[in-house]
Amino acid sequence: MSVESTTEEATSGFNIHPMDQFEVHPLFGDGAIHWYTPTNVTLWMGLAVLAAFLLLVVGSRGRAMVPSRSQSVAEMTYGFVRKMIEDITGKEGLKYFPHIMTAFLFILFANLLALLPYSFSVTSQIAVTGILAATVFISVTVLGFVINGPSFIKLFWVSSAPMALRPVLFLIELISYFVRPVSHSIRLGGNLMAGHAVVKVFAGFAGALGIGAVIPITAIVAVYGLELLVAFIQAYVFTILTVVYLKDALHPAH
Amino acid sequence: MTDTPDSEKLKALEVKISAAKAAIEPAPRRESKYEKASLAWRMVLELVIGMAMGMGIGYGLDSLFGTLPIFLILFSLLGFGAGIRVMMRTAEEVQRQKVKQLTENETAQKGQKRG
Repeated sequence: MSVESTTEEATSGFNIHPMDQFEVHPLFGDGAIHWYTPTNVTLWMGLAVLAAFLLLVVGSRGRAMVPSRSQSVAEMTYGFVRKMIEDITGKEGLKYFPHIMTAFLFILFANLLALLPYSFSVTSQIAVTGILAATVFISVTVLGFVINGPSFIKLFWVSSAPMALRPVLFLIELISYFVRPVSHSIRLGGNLMAGHAVVKVFAGFAGALGIGAVIPITAIVAVYGLELLVAFIQAYVFTILTVVYLKDALHPAH
Repeated sequence: MTDTPDSEKLKALEVKISAAKAAIEPAPRRESKYEKASLAWRMVLELVIGMAMGMGIGYGLDSLFGTLPIFLILFSLLGFGAGIRVMMRTAEEVQRQKVKQLTENETAQKGQKRG
């Protein structure tokens, strides 16, 4: 939408709307957005799930000993996540592989689909990444209490400190436990949003410059390459931090 | 003693093999600029979020009890502490990774020398 408007109004100077692409609007008609309204966010989240389904279920349907291309990609993804969990938490973490694999694939495909022109970047919405981080946070905290019982709270009780300082340190540790998921969700959302906004700004320059548009278009190609990297790295970072939490829950003593 | 020319040949071959291996071996992974920048961002964010969270909690408690500045000041200090704590933990994590990488590289080199 903003691409069209910039090219139309390019004669009247720069008219760049880099943030228009992040607007949430209903899929059918215009109206207020309620919690049940299907929006473009819903659509692209659904497509991310569909892409993961296509890779893992349809792609590896052949179950061949010598895998086809899509099957080997699916197997490599599986092996990659599995090895990551095993390296960090050890064997007992593998029980929780499905949750982590799901989160990884969802974020990865949401990031990658957001790179298509005219698509919507789901993971640039703090609401989405916040919920993703909250699912991890809540499930890991509950898991910690279920496995370790009330002694899980010892994670925050610094027993090596002098007695007078312990309540203060308890509060600090408690706050810092809440800081990490917030920081992750903001980082994932911020990275995606920044990259896409930069691409859009360069696209606006390209519309306004005429023949000189070669320079911003080259820049867009470069930024696009970086965004591809960011899409993978952010999915990886989010997953590895999930696994690190999981380790905290399994072995709170560290 | 007929094995002298053979052993010389073998030595030459060994040199050749190790050279070929060195050519194939991937360069030790170095941190890219992007990774460094994202680490810096991570630390800054953690510090700021810790502080903001502490202030939020303090303000909430104050508006609950009607004691405006007390808990705000107390909890923004605590939040600052929490931010530093998380940041230090991140730094520790990075350091541990670096040490692990170094030891892995060393053992790999030793193994090569032995072989």
